[in-house]
Amino acid sequence: MSDPVRVVVTGLGCISALGHNVGELWWALESGTSGIAPISRVPHDQVHITIAAEVKHYDEARHFDAREVLAYDRYTQFALLAANEAITDAGIDFWRNETLACETAVIVGSGVGGWDTIDRTFYSLHKSGKSRVAPLTIPRLMASAATSQISVKFGLKGPAFSVSSACASSNHAIGEAYWMIRTGRARAAVVGGSEAEISVASQLAWESLRVLASDTCRPFSLGRKGMVIGEGAGMLVLERFDDASKRGARIYCEIAGYGLSADAGDMVRPDVGGAARAIRQALETSRLSPEDIDYVNAHGTGTTLNDMTEVQAIKMVFGPAAWRVMVSSTKSMHGHALGAASAIEAVATIKAIEQRVVPPTANYLGPDPDCDLDHVPNVARQMRIGAALSNSLAFGGLNAVVAFKAV
Amino acid sequence: MTDEELRRKIFDIVALQVRRDTASLTAETTLEELRIASLDMVQILFGIEDTFDIYVPQEGQHLRGGTLGEVCERVKALVAAKHASA
Repeated sequence: MSDPVRVVVTGLGCISALGHNVGELWWALESGTSGIAPISRVPHDQVHITIAAEVKHYDEARHFDAREVLAYDRYTQFALLAANEAITDAGIDFWRNETLACETAVIVGSGVGGWDTIDRTFYSLHKSGKSRVAPLTIPRLMASAATSQISVKFGLKGPAFSVSSACASSNHAIGEAYWMIRTGRARAAVVGGSEAEISVASQLAWESLRVLASDTCRPFSLGRKGMVIGEGAGMLVLERFDDASKRGARIYCEIAGYGLSADAGDMVRPDVGGAARAIRQALETSRLSPEDIDYVNAHGTGTTLNDMTEVQAIKMVFGPAAWRVMVSSTKSMHGHALGAASAIEAVATIKAIEQRVVPPTANYLGPDPDCDLDHVPNVARQMRIGAALSNSLAFGGLNAVVAFKAV
Repeated sequence: MTDEELRRKIFDIVALQVRRDTASLTAETTLEELRIASLDMVQILFGIEDTFDIYVPQEGQHLRGGTLGEVCERVKALVAAKHASA
């Protein structure tokens, strides 16, 4: 039997509350700087929670011409910018390589797709009294808009679809792309996730679920009050190890495995068993043991329940090795970007492996007895990371965990 | 609104979410013994906010513990506070 295909990451792109590219993201993560701030896109007198992790200083006209702006929802814009950065970083011109372009997959995760377009359309009809709707409304708002636009923009003609599993969307996307390459259904992939749903309606909806913090996001910490909504996109370029080596590409790391599960329980209450099964499967498929894992980029939303459940799940799978693994949540800095969260966190985890630095859990006040692992409080740590996990435990009980390994 | 009307409305909201007959609830019934799931609790909080047009603070453990009688008293206070500030 021939060796299984090894899948590696050769390009990274990201736009988030921490900046418009990977360099800015990494600078903030390494220095423990949070991008959480007063919301600018929502009038403060219409909501109660007035903080978010928004993409700042963003001017769509700087990146797209007037015709493109008409065609791209904010979430698609973020996806395109991150994809462009990742593809440029990988150094592949798909337009000049038709064979590869036909074998390159595009998979984008998103919780809701073009929310901003939906929101503005309803507002103009029901509130402003308009009686017409722009012709590109449907192509802008559909949950696969970003996937289509990335394929069009970069000439990618392989398997392309979107994935939606709430806050695990991007990990499901990355995991599926990994499987497609591993099983020969694609040769390369542009994969990640995007979300942009900060609006009055979404903010009030999240408030109503009573999971938002009014001060900041402090996962695993004493005094944590909940999550802070973020937005943005993260993108990876995946290739076969052999292809990347042959063309002399810079290889960030290998995707070693992928685990997924469903709680089949409560819509909002996470389940230890479901989370543990996804983590265990990620280890099994990657043939890694808990002792091999140096870092876990946690789902770590900052809600009382999520963080406690996630710690229990890690202990259940890791056993004694749980006491030596570092478990931080970068959501403390880039917020909870929902369907884009695990794509941004994948970029964070891959940079951590490359830079040999573990990003901290920012805004940490002190240990909570329910969250007693090494949560890397407030200050990044220099450390070689041989292998890492990135956890996503979504609302609706859909879990996905991706394992990364240094090459 | 009389205290009795307020009480009846709150009991109806709770009864709906815990799938019980309103008549089986009393002022001495505790939230704990009703074993309210987290998603049911946020629906109860929303029902109360929507019915009385008040805001129950996000993080305050405001309506989360005690008896239904105590919940009614706290809602009454929030309603009074709203009228006072209007």
